[in-house]
Amino acid sequence: MTFKSALENIHQKGFFGDYENKNKQNLIKISEIKNLLILQIVQYKSSNISLRDINIDGLHLNNEVLKVNCNNETRILWFGPNNWLLISIKKDLLKTINQILRESDFAVTDLSHSRAIIEIEGKNSIEVLKKGCPFNFNKLLKGNSVNSVFNGITVSIDMINDSPNKIRIFTLRSFGESLHHSLTDACLEFGYKNI
Amino acid sequence: MLHIKCPHCGMRSQNEFAYGGDASVKRPELNKEISDLEWDNFVYLRKSLRGKHLELWQHISGCRQWFKVQRDTATHEIFKTLKANEDI
Repeated sequence: MTFKSALENIHQKGFFGDYENKNKQNLIKISEIKNLLILQIVQYKSSNISLRDINIDGLHLNNEVLKVNCNNETRILWFGPNNWLLISIKKDLLKTINQILRESDFAVTDLSHSRAIIEIEGKNSIEVLKKGCPFNFNKLLKGNSVNSVFNGITVSIDMINDSPNKIRIFTLRSFGESLHHSLTDACLEFGYKNI
Repeated sequence: MLHIKCPHCGMRSQNEFAYGGDASVKRPELNKEISDLEWDNFVYLRKSLRGKHLELWQHISGCRQWFKVQRDTATHEIFKTLKANEDI
């Protein structure tokens, strides 16, 4: 199945907001991330399998709050007790995962086409998130992720890097355009570049 | 605004939660014969307490888990939060 961008009708490249007379390097950068494999993995309550025995692309499933296990290609976000979101640029990973995770122990759902992903980059990106999200971002460090709300939209926030800040925000595909509006509105005072 | 400590995620804003009603209501046992009145009471009848109350909440924009909250309905003070399978 071919991927179709969730934000193609709304995401226009260029400079926006209060960007004049500012160093273009310091502006917030907003981009849409697409063409990723997104899987929800849930371990059944009846499952007795130890999570230590599971190895997906060199990564383990971990029940630590906010924790992201990652390598250069794959990230596994903690979503709740025995619940994870796997994001990978390796499309063929689904086959491997279906072999590793038995159907009797895990439910694996392909959400690749059902999420919109917006990446914001720059030192003011946390300030943008603070405008619409009640989470205490002082606690969110590199390699952490959190599920919360942004202006009433349920989002998952993945802190990819903290120097400079690079944050991915996931939402349901149908909320993608609303989230894009909300985020870009919040960015106006800082000036931003859509890439 | 309330701050509620999710037993799984930690302290979060009330915005992320959904109220789920009285946690002390017990569903009638499976296969047990009960009267229409008992069933009606289970489905509809709720106390409207002033003071300490055990409630169900769901962390709907977070880990999506249901859990119990002991809260004062007059002051909104939260005394304790528990996982759904735990008792006070």
